[in-house]
Amino acid sequence: MKSNNQPTKKRLPLFMAVFLIMMLFLQACSGAATTSAPAEGTLRVAMQPLVQTDPALISSDSEVLVANHIYDYLVDVDPQSNPIPRLATGWDVSEDGLVYTFTLAEGVTFHDGSPFTAQDVVWTFNRLRDPDAEYPTSDLYANIESIEATGDLEVIFTLNQPNPFFLYDLSDNHALVMKAETEDTTQFNGTGPFVVTNYSPEDRIEMTANANYWAEGQPKLAGLEIIFFADETAAVDALRSGQVDLAMRMSAALFESLKDEPGVNTINIPTNGFDLVRLRSDREPGNNPKVIEAFKLATDRDAIFSLVTQGYGAVGRDSPIGPLYSAYYTEDTPIPARDVEAARQLLADAGYPDGLTLDLHTPDTGNRPDLAVVLKEQWAEAGIDVNVLVEPESVYYGDDGWLEVTLGITGWGSRPYPQFYPDVMLVCDAKWNESHFCDEEFDQLALTAGTTLDEDERVQAYADIQELLIERGPVIIPYFFGQFAAISDKFDRFDLKAFAGRTDFRDVSFKQ
Amino acid sequence: MTWYRNAGTRLLLNSRVSISSEPLSSNKQSSKEPQREPISPYSQAANRTNRIISLFRGLYAKPSSAIGTTIFLIFLTVALFGPLIAPYGVNEQIAADARQPPSLQHWFGTDNLGRDVFTRVVIGARDILALAGLGTLLAVVCGTAFGLLSGYMGAWFDEGLMRLFDSLLAMPALLLSLLLLGILGPSRSSVLIVIVIVYTPIVARVVRSVVLSVKTRGFVEASRLQGESIPYILFREILPSTLPALTVESALRFSYAIFLVASLGFLGVGVQPPNPDWGLMVKEARVHVFQIPWAMYFPAGAIALVVIGVNLMSDGIKRVWQKSG
Repeated sequence: MKSNNQPTKKRLPLFMAVFLIMMLFLQACSGAATTSAPAEGTLRVAMQPLVQTDPALISSDSEVLVANHIYDYLVDVDPQSNPIPRLATGWDVSEDGLVYTFTLAEGVTFHDGSPFTAQDVVWTFNRLRDPDAEYPTSDLYANIESIEATGDLEVIFTLNQPNPFFLYDLSDNHALVMKAETEDTTQFNGTGPFVVTNYSPEDRIEMTANANYWAEGQPKLAGLEIIFFADETAAVDALRSGQVDLAMRMSAALFESLKDEPGVNTINIPTNGFDLVRLRSDREPGNNPKVIEAFKLATDRDAIFSLVTQGYGAVGRDSPIGPLYSAYYTEDTPIPARDVEAARQLLADAGYPDGLTLDLHTPDTGNRPDLAVVLKEQWAEAGIDVNVLVEPESVYYGDDGWLEVTLGITGWGSRPYPQFYPDVMLVCDAKWNESHFCDEEFDQLALTAGTTLDEDERVQAYADIQELLIERGPVIIPYFFGQFAAISDKFDRFDLKAFAGRTDFRDVSFKQ
Repeated sequence: MTWYRNAGTRLLLNSRVSISSEPLSSNKQSSKEPQREPISPYSQAANRTNRIISLFRGLYAKPSSAIGTTIFLIFLTVALFGPLIAPYGVNEQIAADARQPPSLQHWFGTDNLGRDVFTRVVIGARDILALAGLGTLLAVVCGTAFGLLSGYMGAWFDEGLMRLFDSLLAMPALLLSLLLLGILGPSRSSVLIVIVIVYTPIVARVVRSVVLSVKTRGFVEASRLQGESIPYILFREILPSTLPALTVESALRFSYAIFLVASLGFLGVGVQPPNPDWGLMVKEARVHVFQIPWAMYFPAGAIALVVIGVNLMSDGIKRVWQKSG
């Protein structure tokens, strides 16, 4: 027995040695990857890697965040969702709401030294609205009749139809002003507060403050570094260990865990982003209004709010017009209380006395898998048996599969004004009408809300939309998300926005 | 002091005696075996239970395999009587109890959706052992069949099959599984199919190597000359000689299968929520690890324990089989 054991005992130190050497090697490798200590006053931000760098094609938070600091918007939006001047120092709207005249900032230059003129604005927006280029903005700007440079620093936009939200449209994520005739977008030639010094895809993008920035006293930081993390847990770990100074967009659980972290300030704000549970209304079983009502009655919104979002954000009311739009949001129509028996009865009346069995598709990101699991339990009590299918986000959205499935959960981001939601997801011919909802009365209300120049009329139209959706909309909106961020306490004046990528670092300063 | 030394020498003497006598007796037995062949089914069954008892005696003779076997048996009991042990419903969500640390009400605490972690680990044991066990069993059956045929037939059949298996083995198991699940779509039965496809070639290779060494032996030649059918030769003559190697391999495959099921669950391509799959539980709890670490540590610990337990046990089985020749 003893002699049997000896060889392994002799080998043990050898194993240990090999293991140690491997660990040292790994350590050396990881050390090499995290060299280049940033200069004082450089804000290091953890974000997902970039896929797109062309402003016309960007969509994720990190892509918008990077572009937002290299380029400038013509019109920006403040954290309270009001349009504010940026490259346009002021504007004038004609009586009929069709002609917008913008005055542009003086003494603005691009990073390559060339001056910024009205021609650059005309070129940028003509590119974005080009119907043949299939940019995401071509529909948004279809209402523009013409864009003219009427001086070196004056631009006139003429619309086909009055659009009360036109200033918001001009501040769309993609609407960053580029140098006219730009072909290579990886040159990052913008007018923005930071200049790109190094871009290593999948690793980081490094920027220094633009010494010639046109706005007085901005930016206050010496530099900006976006370090890419594919995983939010890794990003938060990096914040804990001081590798980065700021992490945005994280789960409520991670945010909770950062609250007691020394040296870190936590910020959470309400947004109008939400998860949407929708049942296709153009085919079985959703084409029966009773079934839709049964789904709604079987859902316990308060339990979902406390379990899935941990009480951050707001409880939803099945309409995309959330409490953030205080001018339009109303609680006048009560949400029917949860009633499992009534839901069961409605299903029986609709011809499903033994209940329903359906697949529930959900992307694997955010709280959506948790929401699916909670809904499965709640609906099961009413006889709705769903089979949860968690899919990678790329699969869920790939090939427009999400528009096809009967029952699905989709995340929608926060927008500065509410008209976006009915227009792209609920009117009959909406581009992303995932519930295949088509209701004449709704379409009329959405049209009124989106075109009237009378504010009272718009408020009424939005109130009617909310009532109609609670009554018969094929969507359940159980909650609006909170937006989270955590930043090192060495930085000041950080103002998080609902769409994290639009957060503006121009005023953020480093404490000495 | 003196009695101790005496005892020591006596032990030494004894062992020397037994060592010298062992090869002799076993030689005798094996040479007599063919003559003893026709035995009544009753005594054959008794023989089998004896074998199992002696196997367990062997396993408990050494602390490492004793610990491994005990761990495995505990998990097996938990799996068999899971619903009786579990204090809550497996997917029961108690909103008021969400994110509670371990306590008397919830031994392992609760997860982010207010589900009892102890219940889920217990029910998960049943799911993962059943899935990994059934998968291993099917892989062993298929692998044995292929291995026996391939080894015995030889020639082009052997060549063809083995090259096919080589190409399957050339791919890392996890990569092959991901590939297969991409085609089959994530579900319990897909995971089962994946285990079978991934492990059949490995088992087949082990069986084939034993067959190659056995098929030239006298008793196989003899039954071939007697004109026995191929199935008879394969299953009655050759199969018994592969059993020791096969048992060890099966136990090893079983522990890897548990690992594979958990890995696939963790990657989100295996068993789908809300099933209490251990790997899936680790994945789900991972984002909450700083807030409710217990929801991750208990299922992760369960995976580690079972895999270690089964591995130690299979080491023990190997040792016992080798000893008994």
